[in-house]
Amino acid sequence: MFRRKQMLGKDTRTVAEINEKIKKGDVQVLTAEEMKKLVEKSGVEVAYKEVDVVTTGTFGAMCSSGAVINLGHSDPPIKIQNAWINDVPVCHPGAAVDLYIGATQMSETRPFEYGGGHVIEDLISGKEVEVRATAYGTDCYPRTKLRTIITKDDLNQFYLLNFRNCYQRYVCATNSRDETIYTYMGKLLPRFGNATFSGAGALNPLMNDPDYETIGIGTRIFLGGTQGYVIGEGTQHDPKNLSGTLMVRGDCKNMNPRFIKGAAFTKYGTTLYVGIGIPIPLLNIGLAKKTAIRDEDIHIPIVDYGIPARNRPKLGTVSYKELKSGSIIINGKKVKVSPLSSLKAAEEIAETLKAWIKEGLFYLSAPVERLPRDTEYKPMKQSEETVLVKSVAHQAVTCREDEKIEEVAKQIIRHSVNHVVVVDELGKLRGIVTSWDITKAVAEGKEKLADIVTRKVVTTQMDEPLEAASRKMSQHQISALPVIDHNRKVLGIITSEDIAKLLGRQQNG
Amino acid sequence: MVRILLRFPEKIVDQPIIAETILKHGIPLNIIAAHVDFHGGQVLAEVPSQDIEKVVSAFRERGVIVTIPKLIEVDKEKCIHCGSCFSLCPTGAITINEDFSVNFDKEKCVGSSCGLCVDACPVRAITLTREPNLLVQNSENKKSV
Repeated sequence: MFRRKQMLGKDTRTVAEINEKIKKGDVQVLTAEEMKKLVEKSGVEVAYKEVDVVTTGTFGAMCSSGAVINLGHSDPPIKIQNAWINDVPVCHPGAAVDLYIGATQMSETRPFEYGGGHVIEDLISGKEVEVRATAYGTDCYPRTKLRTIITKDDLNQFYLLNFRNCYQRYVCATNSRDETIYTYMGKLLPRFGNATFSGAGALNPLMNDPDYETIGIGTRIFLGGTQGYVIGEGTQHDPKNLSGTLMVRGDCKNMNPRFIKGAAFTKYGTTLYVGIGIPIPLLNIGLAKKTAIRDEDIHIPIVDYGIPARNRPKLGTVSYKELKSGSIIINGKKVKVSPLSSLKAAEEIAETLKAWIKEGLFYLSAPVERLPRDTEYKPMKQSEETVLVKSVAHQAVTCREDEKIEEVAKQIIRHSVNHVVVVDELGKLRGIVTSWDITKAVAEGKEKLADIVTRKVVTTQMDEPLEAASRKMSQHQISALPVIDHNRKVLGIITSEDIAKLLGRQQNG
Repeated sequence: MVRILLRFPEKIVDQPIIAETILKHGIPLNIIAAHVDFHGGQVLAEVPSQDIEKVVSAFRERGVIVTIPKLIEVDKEKCIHCGSCFSLCPTGAITINEDFSVNFDKEKCVGSSCGLCVDACPVRAITLTREPNLLVQNSENKKSV
């Protein structure tokens, strides 16, 4: 019996044994960064022998986050129907005074700048917030209106409950369009002017335990500067695609606002930066090998966010090593790339967690159940088909740049249109002229078409969803989009009238 | 060196004002960024500090609107070193150090003539502020009609 235990002790470790070492103060902990270096220098066997725990970390914008609060009962009591904190609508999913502050909910008075994420950060920082609520009133909850100023100390419960955090890896985003776009992947400059990526790469917790051997339900973690727990796999968990996610919970009252930050992505909305660190106990040599994963081993696709469809085109793949170098190559051109998650804070989290374990402030927990490893992440079932541009596109009236304004005016009358697309001899887009431009030219005595052509033309493509095209029109305050192919050849045009007609048909049908 | 932003209204955009001013006053002028379109032109330039008053009045005499550009100011308390701003900076004023902290070099910043990084900061740590202690008044000259 004694001999067997000894033998086992050589090949594997248990969480209980590691916790015993933490208690005695002789546990060996390295951050994921340090582990990679040790394995490179001394090999997996030596590293496994020397190290008990590897700490990981990530600090990124995690939109599917929020906090549950319980306000306690007012007198007379209220069964809240609608509620706001600092003008941010908060969700009321359950009984009378339980609220959920969603990170992406935006303030009604300062939208896009202040939101649920900021409310959570303000509360954690000890700031006062204003709660407003309305209700329909019942015999047992007669109150219909409420306004009160509170801090976190006045709340019964205040805990973070995030349903999708800690993406194992994420894509690299860029933009093919002729205009800057603002996305949840940050600000993307026109014509592949820059790129962004998220995630900590080889420092990411799930990347260091890709088979989810030690991370599961009940795993104790670093969450927002305090101890929290993994309570299951996150939504959109996609393990077969190396894109696992976590659902986590932690007590906000003990969190540190340095590791929980409200954030605003311009023209996208508000969110919450969440700091997560997970210790990986090296229970077997396989885990030592897995925690030695390097940035150059993790590849992600470069995705064109300029195409507003679910299946955005992929332009190649890059490793986290290339991404962290500051520039990548897209279509043969060197492009600067921004990390959106803080790699500095990720390292700091791994360091903090290491210190906690070494000082005996943090004990490991074995999961009571493992995370799914074979589930798939499905796209939405859509009972109604997406309408594409091609369903309303029609032939465009075109002209050449050297035509006389008078000729173009005649075309406009003959075809009874408002837009004439200017093309070159190959049928490629050169510009657009509207009936208004012609009127103005006549009033100002201009004769050359070249003087009045709009050359910066907003365009669409046949397979773009009509909704996206119509959004372009309203954003740019224009009433038509030429439809072009990848070579900028004009295939047709869509106008706001076409869209209005289609909507009319749909409503009548 | 001090940075000045020269704006050339549509009416005078076709005149060689910069070249003439350099020749007339013998002051070196380093052009950092320039942009011209049908509304007129905009040039960001650097001039020696001791010549600033002379240069500003010389340009204003020719109808050029002269202002001191705002430069980026970073609130170190707010910055989380995420690097969102890094890829937007066209002049290399924003860099990422080996330890992944983000570094801002005001010397390289072209300020309000660019400003691309400002709305990319998710924690709103970047603002454009005017440089203090400038010898010239920062008011735009009145357009003479």
